[in-house]
Amino acid sequence: MPRDRRIYIASALLLCVGVAAALIVRDDYTVKLMLWIATSALLAACLRFVLLIGELNIATAAFYGIGAYTAGVITTIFNGPLVLAMLAAAVVAGLVAAVFGFITLRVKGPYFLLISFAFTEVVRLKYTQSNIIGGNSGMIGIFPPVAIEPYYPAIMIAIIGLVLIGLYAIERSPLGMLFKAIKSNDQIVLSVGISVLVVKVICVVIASAALGLGGALYAHSNNVISPGDFGFLLSVFVLAYVKIGGEEHMVGALLGAAFLTLLGQYLMGVGAHERIFFGGAIIIAMLVMPQGLTGLALQLGRRLGWATPAASLGQHK
Amino acid sequence: MDLTVQLIVNTLQIGAVYVLFSLGLTLIFGVMKIVNFAHGEFFTAAALAMSVVVPWFAKALGLSAIPVFALSFCVSVLVVLALGLVVYKFGFERYLRDLIGSFIVSIGFVLLLEGLYLEIFGGAPRIIPPLIPGVANILGAAITWQRLLICFLALAITFGLYFLVARTKLGLALRAVAEDQEAAMLQGIKYRRVALYGFLIGCGLAGAAGAFMAPLAAITTFMGADFLIKAFIIIIIGGLGSIPGAILGGFIIAAIESFGSYYFDSSTATIALFVLVIVGLLVRPQGIMGHAER
Amino acid sequence: MIKTAGKLVAISAIAGLAMMSAAQAEVLKLGLSGPKSGAAAAWGIGFEWAAKQAAEKINKEGGIKANGKTYTLEIVSYDNQYNATEGAKVAQTLLNRDEVKFVVGSIGTAPVKALQSLSERKGVLIFTTAWGPSAKGPNFPLTFTQINTPAEVLDQLYGYVVKQNPNAKTVAMLNPNDATGQDTEKVAQESWKKLNVKVLASDWYERGTTEFQPIATKLATIKPDIIDLSTTPPNDAGAILKELKVLGWKGVQVVSAGTSSSSLIKVAGDAVEGTYMGLAADFDGPAATPIQRELNKGANAANGDPLNVITIGSWDAVMALKAAIEKCNCTDPKKVAEALPTIVFESSYGPAAFGAKDVYGTPQQLLVPTIVTQIKGGKVVEVQRVVPPELDARLKAAKK
Repeated sequence: MPRDRRIYIASALLLCVGVAAALIVRDDYTVKLMLWIATSALLAACLRFVLLIGELNIATAAFYGIGAYTAGVITTIFNGPLVLAMLAAAVVAGLVAAVFGFITLRVKGPYFLLISFAFTEVVRLKYTQSNIIGGNSGMIGIFPPVAIEPYYPAIMIAIIGLVLIGLYAIERSPLGMLFKAIKSNDQIVLSVGISVLVVKVICVVIASAALGLGGALYAHSNNVISPGDFGFLLSVFVLAYVKIGGEEHMVGALLGAAFLTLLGQYLMGVGAHERIFFGGAIIIAMLVMPQGLTGLALQLGRRLGWATPAASLGQHK
Repeated sequence: MDLTVQLIVNTLQIGAVYVLFSLGLTLIFGVMKIVNFAHGEFFTAAALAMSVVVPWFAKALGLSAIPVFALSFCVSVLVVLALGLVVYKFGFERYLRDLIGSFIVSIGFVLLLEGLYLEIFGGAPRIIPPLIPGVANILGAAITWQRLLICFLALAITFGLYFLVARTKLGLALRAVAEDQEAAMLQGIKYRRVALYGFLIGCGLAGAAGAFMAPLAAITTFMGADFLIKAFIIIIIGGLGSIPGAILGGFIIAAIESFGSYYFDSSTATIALFVLVIVGLLVRPQGIMGHAER
Repeated sequence: MIKTAGKLVAISAIAGLAMMSAAQAEVLKLGLSGPKSGAAAAWGIGFEWAAKQAAEKINKEGGIKANGKTYTLEIVSYDNQYNATEGAKVAQTLLNRDEVKFVVGSIGTAPVKALQSLSERKGVLIFTTAWGPSAKGPNFPLTFTQINTPAEVLDQLYGYVVKQNPNAKTVAMLNPNDATGQDTEKVAQESWKKLNVKVLASDWYERGTTEFQPIATKLATIKPDIIDLSTTPPNDAGAILKELKVLGWKGVQVVSAGTSSSSLIKVAGDAVEGTYMGLAADFDGPAATPIQRELNKGANAANGDPLNVITIGSWDAVMALKAAIEKCNCTDPKKVAEALPTIVFESSYGPAAFGAKDVYGTPQQLLVPTIVTQIKGGKVVEVQRVVPPELDARLKAAKK
């Protein structure tokens, strides 16, 4: 447990630094960069959360989008308050996930991967055909209230940070252990009289509610959302964050999100060859560090002799 | 024009190429247990290769259309096989049977190859002359002769593959590996070698489909993407890893597209496809022809 | 002080940016936001190329003179991937990192809206090709439309088609299910109705479709006198025309907003014969200006793809901007925006201006001739050219 406490303290500190930075830094671009990393990290953490039960959830993008659209509808069409928009986004995404999960989690592996992919595309195509939410052009003018606008980035980082810590806490709780038990052998879980399906649904609902909240935050910081933002490719990129960061530990998801977001921004300046570099970077990363950045750090740590604390990062399989 | 016949003819001509493409994807899944997102890039590579090689052969050798196409077809498929070998060696080889790892690697290749194609071939569509001119009339339905020919060639390759898998030693190894990799290895089957062959055959099928589409469609650097998404739907409906399933699924999807576009509209037909997948999976998760996987 | 601290963070985060953000005093950076990957990549690439040609030409001729300074131009262009997320990132990068004051071109309704929501607040002037009415008007005082849009063209085009084919009484329309299609379809329905042509069906399809027989079969069996492929992109429109020919449908073919006639001709082959187009000016033939012919040739050589009505828009925007900056003798975007509607400048089409206040509420639409073309013998032929009355009046006033 002391190690856990250390991690909580470290993340709380990091969170404070992030919030303080969002309040102090006056350069809009830097602030936006922090927000992009934060939302990417949240997406990565949520995708990884469902990976705990061994499923690759392409619908990560769909639930993020459901949250963003729910919040957008509440603030722009009904002029509702921001807090309500955020809560509703989490609740709606969670409810949809409950139904989705209850039906689809009976299958697993490649079948779940592909069904979540199909679900994501259906949801996206439905947005494009709905005029009230702007069809393909998307929704515009999703702003936080003027009074809190200057503090919005700090609020956003604070909420995302707390959600991330929450997700980590759940992962370390008995429930989280159950998730991992299902991944390694669901028959054993079943044999002690626990409904595997219910546990899986709970996992997907938690991740989706967090995604819904994240979507609401994103919609208000981006001000504009469109169906094209929530296609299956988003989930694919998020998986790259997780994989390149290293999926053994949640820190990996954060590292991967930060690394690839910054790399993406840097490559934007490189010009037309952006995609080639990005694709190449993913392949090379997968070849030279199959365990991701955290795995690499671990190896380096071992070699430098301070193995014990770092090695324990990967202890819980 | 007899409407029903026309819609059926449409189904067959679209379906034949879908089947070819999906067969490759399902074969690769069966043998390697990976979902290859880069499958569409092999299709595109073959079509792009055709757009370069066909005019070149026509000019350099002065042959008539059919031999030029036959030669170009072989060259294009070879190009795809070479590309497939590179992708396998520098990517998938280390992620066999790792669904998530291989998925990421395939995404890396999608981005890399798409970027490279655009860099090399540019954004403008490319076109090659028709294989044979003219329009045939079947029971009141119109179809171009080249479509008809390509339809037959695609079916011939499909039967060829069926024979290969059902009757040859390699086919037996492929089936054994797909069924139970560990048991197959205990029987002395070299898994890595079989996986490589399976992957290359899959790439070759994607390449053949791409080469066949080259005279039929505008050749662009992103034309594989549409086929990839359709193929996913096809192999889910047919059952992952199932060869008869991919054949049946290919024609079912083509039928929905053909009839759905007529009775509703194309955009609605696209949504219907995805909804069908979800409903289908719920009723029969293993697909029409798939085996239940524990 | 704090701002510099923030910058330092950014610099340490992204190596190498330091050189880019340290702007030299007399370089004027102009932004571009267009798709450079995926299905619409050709647009973004051509767009960037044309803007760079314009900047190069101006730099060679001594730059832009204002405030007693001489500015040389530099084009900064990013890939917006045709969606709002990347559009917003591009906007942030252009406006907040590169500190661009003018965006000389933006493509794609969703990314343009993302750009607009930032640019209008930051006081940055943007030019756009997005033609949805929702991106124009008094709410967007700093947004200028840099090309002719269907609203300018459709009445002219359809009127000409009906005049040439007086027996055509019915039409079937097809649009891709995207923002451009959805925006244009409404205008097109109105336009046909005004001419007493009955719209039998208006169908949608998903972008990225490769097999078009089902769509063609549907269109042909409706048996309309006219098939209007509207905003269907040239590659797809070409494939559909080809299938229609196989099915034996004969009638009037219209691709009202198809922008690239060369792609259409390439893909459709002889099935394209007789097709009317509204946004496919011929930059190759005798009706084109010398500069258009030269640009078209250059683009063809550089990108393997000729210019079209959209991609040439970035050239026109750069030229308009130069004229406006020199007129107001300043580089303040707000003042430049005030100057733009008052000037007559030399566009690639010849003398042009900004106007159309009576239609949109603000005089911020580019005024250039609307050109109806028809494909005859595998070539684009200009069949009608209408100079907007407002432009005509402005040109006469300018001469006095």
